[in-house]
Amino acid sequence: MQNRRDFLNLLCRGTILTGLAATTGVLAYRSVKSGNCELGSSCSNCGKSDNCSLTEAVLYRSTVWQLDPAKCIQCGRCATNCVMTPSAVKATHVFAMCGYCDLCGGYLKPDTKNISTAAENQLCPTSAIKRKFVEDPFYQYTIDEPLCIGCAKCVKGCSAFGNGSLQLQVHHDRCKNCNQCAIARDCPADAYSRVPASKPYLLQGIESKPDDKQIG
Amino acid sequence: MKKIFALVFLVFLFAVQFMNAYGIQRFPKPEFESGYVQPETLMPNPRAEVLAIMDIVVLIFCLSVVSWLVIKKRSRNKVFWMSLFALAYFGFYREGCICSIGSIQNVTLALFDTSYFIPLSAIIFFVAPLVYTLFFGRTFCAAVCPFGAIQDLVAFKPQKLGARLNAMLGVIPYVYLGLAVLYAATGTDFIICRYDPFVGIWRVNASFGMFVFGGLLLVSGIFIARPYCRFLCPYGVLLNWTSRFSRKHITITPAECIQCRLCKNSCPYDAIDMPVTGKNPDDKRTMGRKLIFITFLIPVLMLVGGWTGSRLHEQLAGVNGKVKLAKQILNPVSDKNQAETFEMEAFKSAGKQQSQAFAEAADVLHDFYIGGWILGGFIGLVFGGLIAGLLITKHHTDYTPNKGTCLSCVRCVDYCPVKVT
Amino acid sequence: MVNIDVIMKQKIIILAALTVLLVLIIFAVKDFFFSKPGNSNPYEFELDKVRTGDTSMAVWAETHQFKTTLEEIHGITTDASGTIYISGKDAVEMLDAEGKETGKFPVEGTAFCIALNQEGNLLLGMLDHIEIWNNAGKQLSRWNSCGSDAVITSIATRGNNVFVADAGQKVVYRYDKKGNLLNKIGLKDPATGVPGFIIPSAYFDLGISNDGNLWVVNPGRHSFEKYTFDGKILTSWGKASMAMEGFCGCCNPSNFAMLNDSLFVTSEKAIERVKIYNADGSFNSIVATPDLFEPGTKGLDLAVDKQNRILVLDPVKLMVHVFEPK
Repeated sequence: MQNRRDFLNLLCRGTILTGLAATTGVLAYRSVKSGNCELGSSCSNCGKSDNCSLTEAVLYRSTVWQLDPAKCIQCGRCATNCVMTPSAVKATHVFAMCGYCDLCGGYLKPDTKNISTAAENQLCPTSAIKRKFVEDPFYQYTIDEPLCIGCAKCVKGCSAFGNGSLQLQVHHDRCKNCNQCAIARDCPADAYSRVPASKPYLLQGIESKPDDKQIG
Repeated sequence: MKKIFALVFLVFLFAVQFMNAYGIQRFPKPEFESGYVQPETLMPNPRAEVLAIMDIVVLIFCLSVVSWLVIKKRSRNKVFWMSLFALAYFGFYREGCICSIGSIQNVTLALFDTSYFIPLSAIIFFVAPLVYTLFFGRTFCAAVCPFGAIQDLVAFKPQKLGARLNAMLGVIPYVYLGLAVLYAATGTDFIICRYDPFVGIWRVNASFGMFVFGGLLLVSGIFIARPYCRFLCPYGVLLNWTSRFSRKHITITPAECIQCRLCKNSCPYDAIDMPVTGKNPDDKRTMGRKLIFITFLIPVLMLVGGWTGSRLHEQLAGVNGKVKLAKQILNPVSDKNQAETFEMEAFKSAGKQQSQAFAEAADVLHDFYIGGWILGGFIGLVFGGLIAGLLITKHHTDYTPNKGTCLSCVRCVDYCPVKVT
Repeated sequence: MVNIDVIMKQKIIILAALTVLLVLIIFAVKDFFFSKPGNSNPYEFELDKVRTGDTSMAVWAETHQFKTTLEEIHGITTDASGTIYISGKDAVEMLDAEGKETGKFPVEGTAFCIALNQEGNLLLGMLDHIEIWNNAGKQLSRWNSCGSDAVITSIATRGNNVFVADAGQKVVYRYDKKGNLLNKIGLKDPATGVPGFIIPSAYFDLGISNDGNLWVVNPGRHSFEKYTFDGKILTSWGKASMAMEGFCGCCNPSNFAMLNDSLFVTSEKAIERVKIYNADGSFNSIVATPDLFEPGTKGLDLAVDKQNRILVLDPVKLMVHVFEPK
């Protein structure tokens, strides 16, 4: 009786172990052996990233959450739905795209009478955009990152009236990289996705900064 | 020669395309005369990848040490200190991500969706505790999981619930697991993470609702020890079943049980099987009848469950984003005063075809139809098992920890008067 | 007795704790299956408020919409016979005054702007160079590239002079008819008071008034600047404002056309509107308000035909809006 039970136990243990090993094997093979390619489904001639000769293919070993500014509709949920307060999503200024305008649609309220830095003229609910005179007629606009709540008001203003140099991005020093991003779940535009940690930004107009440490 | 020509032409076309895009998109930077230097766009780096390996190392270290403390040292005190360490590291330092409970969903999604990239740490966090449990019992629950650790701290006045109540509440984790797998497999949501009660506490930063959720759970945890672990945790289901076949397991007594009953009230989790001697286990006729009843009951319950699940598949799929969108396209906001939903606004601005959105939703609905059958059948099986468990009483003589539900916390050991000889 | 009390108390405690647990579970289930994400944005940018213009002020009414068959359209011009020329991706299309297609010919690349010279030939701005075509679809000549950074956004011609607006290099070129560069206009020069063009986005228009001078939009300064053909600045006007009287956004107007040789018809992006200004820069009237266009429409090129109708090219709806006085 005791022997039979022990044998059954052993059998079950063996089965579970085999099952676990098989699952791990299949998943770990994909994760470790070949890594993953950031080209993803956009590249059709793949299957074996080991033999890939394309230079633009980037292998990665982990992912982070990021939103695609091209899809963003500035609904404001990035500010309200992040598990962090304030949100880990921040307006990010791509200076290379900025027109350095005096009349900045992302900085000033649309009905502003006079262009000035007065608080009642500022579009940003937390006054997180700093305006600095560069030279006639250019002004530099900088996001005061800790003050920004990621509401996308300036993003909407900039894309409507300007060049779209203000864009929302998940800032990875603040993002907890939740297993399932709470904003991604509620994003109406489906703009969020897991992106390679080696290329963690999806800004329009500039190449995201590649980080050597991250490339596996 | 032809090939080269074609290639050159292609490159030329590409260049023209690029020029166009370049000309319009990255439109001219102002020419500054004052020597102004353009600042760099702020892009903070994510957490270094090496640290993910550290997580794995710490996990394996904790599992090994705790298993050794439970099986060999049999020391509640040391296990307690290890649990504090796990609470500090996996809870407050790693802030709850990655965790083994949530990794069920990563593994499921990776199995069903080959385009999903599963990080190595998620695989290890899923597999390692199960493997350790298969050999040493639920030592992961004892002092590695931060969920268990924080609930253990508040279990001041644990009350006995009784076998029946325990068994009935014990069904909830199975349902939770089934739903979590269904929603992860269909790529809808990670519900375990969504209703993670303690993540706000780890991060000391969450919405009011999340704090209330975690706080109330801890309050109920004063009287019902480890309510999450026993009556909610979906990973606990897997650990429960692997632990039943574990090679070694904590024992209350290091030698022979002397039936002194001193340990009877020591377990806050009602995980000690009392001796059952009242009924005659050898009554083969009653036993046989019960067995026949159960063999009939379980398939019936599974069928009924599966059918119900498949009937409910539209309701289950209702939370899927694609299905939601398709519904909104079918029933647009009729009221003029009501603003268009953000989803519709985004859909329109993306310029996707309606037919494509419907086709995607139909795919998801089909998945949920099949998933509904499986989930329903699984829940039917669980209820069948519950009834079987309540009907059949196993005969045994000693006070032993139940291998399935015992969390290896080593509290009972201190109550046993028998010492190693 | 004491014992029973203890048991009762214990049961109540268990019941209470279990209730809390069940309430939490019910709450989670309700939240998951029955909650909807809110559809209000506490940080809403009330763009629609700005975008609605006062239509009662409009003294012009839309009378026709001419559809085009091109897949991408950028420039519009008309000739003395009333023919409308539309340039765009890979082709130029011709419509008669009633909007009926009378011809179409292919070009290589995208013609971002179009102008007619006195011989009735078409000058096309092809990103970085000018091409001259006749209206039968034959390429007559192709000028040298203005440079790799060039983005040609507008052409105007009078007599022997061809003026080309290059938004990429922020300058206006004056060529002769053969394509020889005569001089550059608008380069910043504090000595002569030329402020230099500020062009944050690829919209930069010019035109010639009947007094024989060149008008150039300086979009970043929200102004019109008047130059002699030699590049001497004469005057400028313009006001930055979201209100009707001014030019909105970072850089506007995006396009303009001359009406009756003395009035300026202007179009703006961001707040898509078409307005008329007097020659002295004072606000005259509204032609089209934003509700006529899709939000985000950019590059409403303008032309005035021989019947003095205002033609507005709509690159998003791919059509020409025709306006006549009410």
